[in-house]
Amino acid sequence: MKTKKIFFLFFIIYIFIFSASFQHHRFDRYKKPLYRFFRPRIQSINKGLPFQLKEKQYVPDQILIKFKPTLSELLIETTLAAYQTKKINRIPRLNIYQLQIPRDITVEEMVYVMNQNPDVEYAEFNYIVYITETPNDIYFKYQYALYNSGQSIGIPGSPHGTERADIKATAAWEETKGEEEVIIAVIDSGVDLLHPDIETKILSSGRDFVNDDFDATDDHGHGTHVAGIAAAESNNNEGIAGVAWNCKILPIKIVDEEGYGDYYSLIEGITYAADNGADVINLSIGGEFTAQALEEALKYAYEKDIVIIAAVGNEGGAVLYPAAYDDYCLAVAATDYDDIRVDWSNFGPEVDVAAPGERIISLVPTWYPSSIWDDFELPPYGYGFGTSMAAPYVSGFAALIKSIKPWLTAAEIMNIIRYSADDTNKEDYPGNDEFIGYGRINMEKALVPIKITTHK
Amino acid sequence: MKKINYFSLAAILILSLCSFSYAQFHEEKYSPKISIKPGIGFEYFSRTISWDDDKYSSNLKSYFFILNAEFEIQEGFSLNALAGYSFSNFDSLIFRELPFSVELDVGDMSGFLFGGEIKKSIFSTNDFEVEGLGQFVYYLGSKKEWDIPDLNVEGSVTGKPWWMRASAGPVITYTGFDYFYPYIYLSYNKLWGKFKIEQTIQELSGSEDKKITGKSVFSTSLGAIYEVFDALTLKAEASFMPYNKGLDFGVMLRAMYSF
Repeated sequence: MKTKKIFFLFFIIYIFIFSASFQHHRFDRYKKPLYRFFRPRIQSINKGLPFQLKEKQYVPDQILIKFKPTLSELLIETTLAAYQTKKINRIPRLNIYQLQIPRDITVEEMVYVMNQNPDVEYAEFNYIVYITETPNDIYFKYQYALYNSGQSIGIPGSPHGTERADIKATAAWEETKGEEEVIIAVIDSGVDLLHPDIETKILSSGRDFVNDDFDATDDHGHGTHVAGIAAAESNNNEGIAGVAWNCKILPIKIVDEEGYGDYYSLIEGITYAADNGADVINLSIGGEFTAQALEEALKYAYEKDIVIIAAVGNEGGAVLYPAAYDDYCLAVAATDYDDIRVDWSNFGPEVDVAAPGERIISLVPTWYPSSIWDDFELPPYGYGFGTSMAAPYVSGFAALIKSIKPWLTAAEIMNIIRYSADDTNKEDYPGNDEFIGYGRINMEKALVPIKITTHK
Repeated sequence: MKKINYFSLAAILILSLCSFSYAQFHEEKYSPKISIKPGIGFEYFSRTISWDDDKYSSNLKSYFFILNAEFEIQEGFSLNALAGYSFSNFDSLIFRELPFSVELDVGDMSGFLFGGEIKKSIFSTNDFEVEGLGQFVYYLGSKKEWDIPDLNVEGSVTGKPWWMRASAGPVITYTGFDYFYPYIYLSYNKLWGKFKIEQTIQELSGSEDKKITGKSVFSTSLGAIYEVFDALTLKAEASFMPYNKGLDFGVMLRAMYSF
């Protein structure tokens, strides 16, 4: 009798746990018994902390320099030799040199000395850029950013979102799902070229400026997560939906496995994207310093009518570069599942719009360590936080506009995104403000024909 | 602007021709039956129009009030000049080439209407008469401006439409009754036009010329002429214009007075 009672008690506990875990999984194909008990978790790429610049601000033994255009190649070589610098690389389109400086002089001194030379247009530090997102625990949940029904956002006990606090993607997809010819360049840590939810969406193996080859495989995870938000394969009964269903991704790697890159690689990445057919450039990266060379690269791409989308950063401080280059970039802040700006989202007059950046589910590289995925052959997904996650929503959105109206200029597309945004904080900050700019993006308003009823 | 001039010129030419012909025939006393019939009329039609290379379709509904002057130049041959005011409804027309796509839901747009008719008797028997009838009508909508709703900056669109309808075919009239003459008019009936729209939203601007074409090209009209008394004639007509997926229709009423 006692045995029966104990057995009955165990049975009740089993039923309770089974029921509780069952309701959290939306993907039927992954309903495997053990999986429900061991919720998949991924190791945090940065120990659960947001990426922030901790030590170095620029590459310690390098500078970037641009000579005046009247100077001949021979004179440049002579000048470089006179200063005992060594040419590491050169971006021919912009005529910017990456130089290694001698060991007996500091970078600060060399920048100062070079700027005194009348043949030099400018010399500056090769600043460090860094990524601004940390993937967290993995759950297969609804993508509230695309369509918010007021569902639970994450694990049991997580808050519920506010109904329709989203970017109105589903209505916009009725009008367009994008064109294959439209290319989104993701300049980041690369993209996992083998992830089943994006592999058919990748234009080519891309360009790796960290290892100087043509295989932009992601060895960090950030770029894959970003690319998935913009253009994961959609309507394929697997994983998540990207914003731009049919547009292609051009992966460009400028960030290493630790999550850092430098301005020179970023400049190379931007010019490469501009020269290789990109229509939209996503920059979910940033640095704290202004640099003429970087601005010149952005100008180069912008003048080719490429829409440049950049994350403002996650420190709750000033907008990072390149997002702060207002003339060329659309700077994206982050909101949450209630359409409220998250307090870590950087702010300033450069902010143009906002998009969801809180607890965003997207792709995680297939090589990412997890026994759960290995055991069940699950393609990995994970949650990310940050303006890095907000920016690709806008990039996918820009790609859809470009798909349906290819004659529009970059400036026009950026204005359409600005003017169609929902001013979600208008009660406190009506109009264009420094926290979410014109507001949270609204794809429906920009893409679906607006009914004209009101007489002037 | 060229279009406006062209059609205005055409209307003036027809009026001039009618006046000239009338004067000439009157002077020569070629026919004692030369007459002028001023009249008023009302017409309504609803026609399915296609646009963007036949990719999309919507309805054009139009009603207009007209003044007309019919000049019978010689027996069995007359010219009719039309001028009036129209209200045309282009709702559901969508413009996708503007920075922000827009769909019209603005109701009737007023505009002037010009046109002309030419009618020639071909043959007649005791109870039937067969005539050839050609007609064109040109509508020129006035320019309107509307606000663009729901954007976070102010913006507006201005629109200016025109359409033209041309038809030609035989009219078979039964003349067996006194004072009442039913008829059937079978015609090739073509409608086309353009809606020019311009959008301005801060630094954003764009324009689009939307060409529209009536889906139906043939029309069957059933009508009757009733002579109330010698000088006053009433005319009523209902038209049916089939196309591959439906049927458009129109009605017309006219009253004419003979001098």
